Amino acid sequence: MFDVLPPFVIYLIGALILPFIKAGNWRSAYSLFIPLIGAWLIWTAPMGENAQLAFFGFDLELMRVDKLSRIFGLVFSLAAFIGLIYAWHLRDWVQQTSAILYAGSAIGAVFVGDMISLFFFWEGTAIASVFLIWARGTEGAYHTGMRYLIIQIGSGVILIAGVAMHYHASGSIAFDKMTLPMSISSIGDIALWLIFLSFGIKCAFPLLHNWLQDAYPAATVTGTVFLSAFTTKLAVYALARTFPGTELLIYIGAIMTLFPIFYAVIENDLRRVLAYSLNNQLGFMVVGIGVGTELALNGTAAHAFAHILYKALLFMSVGAVLFRTGTAKGSELGGLYKTMPLTMIFCVVGAASISAFPLFSGFVAKSLILSAASHEHYYVVWGILLFASAGVFHHSGIKIPYFAFFAHDSGKRPKEAPMHMLIAMGLASFVCIFVGVFPKPLYDLLPYPIDYEAYTTTHVITQLQLLFASALAFTVLMRTKIYPPELKSVNLDFDVTYRKWLPSVIGYLAIVVSAIFQGVTGFINSSAVKIIKALHHSHGPDGSRAASWPTGAMVLNIALLLGFALVVIYLS
Amino acid sequence: MANHKDDPQSYPALGRWLMFVDNPRNVDRICYALYGLCAFLVALDFFYYKKVYTAVEKIPGFYAIYGFVMCALLVICAKAMRKVLMRDETYYAPYDVESEEFPEHDLDRESHDV
Repeated sequence: MFDVLPPFVIYLIGALILPFIKAGNWRSAYSLFIPLIGAWLIWTAPMGENAQLAFFGFDLELMRVDKLSRIFGLVFSLAAFIGLIYAWHLRDWVQQTSAILYAGSAIGAVFVGDMISLFFFWEGTAIASVFLIWARGTEGAYHTGMRYLIIQIGSGVILIAGVAMHYHASGSIAFDKMTLPMSISSIGDIALWLIFLSFGIKCAFPLLHNWLQDAYPAATVTGTVFLSAFTTKLAVYALARTFPGTELLIYIGAIMTLFPIFYAVIENDLRRVLAYSLNNQLGFMVVGIGVGTELALNGTAAHAFAHILYKALLFMSVGAVLFRTGTAKGSELGGLYKTMPLTMIFCVVGAASISAFPLFSGFVAKSLILSAASHEHYYVVWGILLFASAGVFHHSGIKIPYFAFFAHDSGKRPKEAPMHMLIAMGLASFVCIFVGVFPKPLYDLLPYPIDYEAYTTTHVITQLQLLFASALAFTVLMRTKIYPPELKSVNLDFDVTYRKWLPSVIGYLAIVVSAIFQGVTGFINSSAVKIIKALHHSHGPDGSRAASWPTGAMVLNIALLLGFALVVIYLS
Repeated sequence: MANHKDDPQSYPALGRWLMFVDNPRNVDRICYALYGLCAFLVALDFFYYKKVYTAVEKIPGFYAIYGFVMCALLVICAKAMRKVLMRDETYYAPYDVESEEFPEHDLDRESHDV
């Protein structure tokens, strides 16, 4: 049955034991062993299918190890480990347990070989992660968590519906490559589109993306670090597994890289800026899946690996600012480098990595996708990705560190981040730089053999040109005061449709419906009253008709009724 | 929360050392260095064999021009979007964006002039 213990079992058992350990350093130290053991299990597991389970007549596969699942499993373990170091100060078992269950579900989902097990872990990530939002304990977070849960559970329900129809049509529950039909002619086609839609919701496709920018800034300081790592990258993994080479994904991905950067420029909440840039980075991975060549899929896997770490690093540094100052709004921050210089440096490392500066992790990963797009002659897409690369430096690379740590002095003089946060950020920074300087170990982990040299003269110089020109644009616009200042505000995104417009349409509809209802019921009531009064007038005790009724009428009626009943009984 | 006794001596050494960026003259110097660097990078384009796949990339300084123009457009478009999209912070709900509360002993909140 189980040749190898699937790593999610460790997370499950670990999470169940955790609340019984006394809150404090021991519990935090204990939590670190869970991802370590999990990673060891992944590292030592042989390639192939290692854990079968019979379930209601289905053969489920819980530990399918290949190079694609392995790299995602390992980076998820690393992200969980770093996140748990960052969360060392937590004394709240709800957050610690849900973070571990969340990581465990994501890792479990990566290694499954069938869609039914995938569904269980898919919903597991949704349910476990919502507690990281609710743990913030504010009214806004409660409502955000509800919206998040509805959308995430909705994605799972769509998935299982698709899986059931797919099984009905094809008899297969395999979690493997599928071909998305471009026209819908059978139930099997609808099934594939439902599965695609379910992945698309979790992957934050355009117009399905708002849960991300809604939830990530609302979660706790430590919760956002976990949220940023798992859900969306699990969806990227699922897409890479099932729909590689689907051309539609190239265009979806290109739009995903494009529109969030506009929002990121004008957004005030720095964690929401990061959520938008996360959305933009997902776009690169989706393009890679859409191109679907070996180089492109390697690019997606490499970028997911690098992205999880530098995104967590950025969320950790902004989280440290939020932890110390109580706010993550650009309009209220500034000048923090004076008392939080180490956090600032780690933030800059994350910023350089996401911007794909040479010698940082983004450079060796993102270029694979750009090269793949240009090699396959998607020149417009390549142009969009290039613009998005410049834009990401603009809003994540410069804006985040600049408005948090420099810009105008806010007068805030918070203490440097706590030691465990610095260690977590230092570790993530180290990996970002190490991968950037020595890409070979990362390239060896990729799903396909790779022969790619990131550090060519052309590539380094053109990339530096792009980035410094982007910095130049920022500087010029800043000095000419064209750059929009950080303002306390929210910006309308697509979620205005279901947070404002739809409820107000329903409100107006309710007024109309209630007016009609009141009119109809009022009319019926008044008619009934009139009829009763008229009957009372004619047949009541004082009515004219009552005078002519014989006293024996009732006796006659009852005799007729009894006679009728007798006939019925006799006949039946 | 401006401090009355904001004493740089109480900052971490690294933070004190970085304080040169507060001097407007140094900010100017950093900017000039950036201008110089950009010019240098564009000039480099004439001195090496550029291995490229698309025709536009052959234009000297293409990446710099593209990066600058697109980023400037990005900011100007985003600024225009604000006119349509910006709403008050409490548009969706009051208390939408506040931080969670931490136990005071965990937070270790203190300012550096104490």
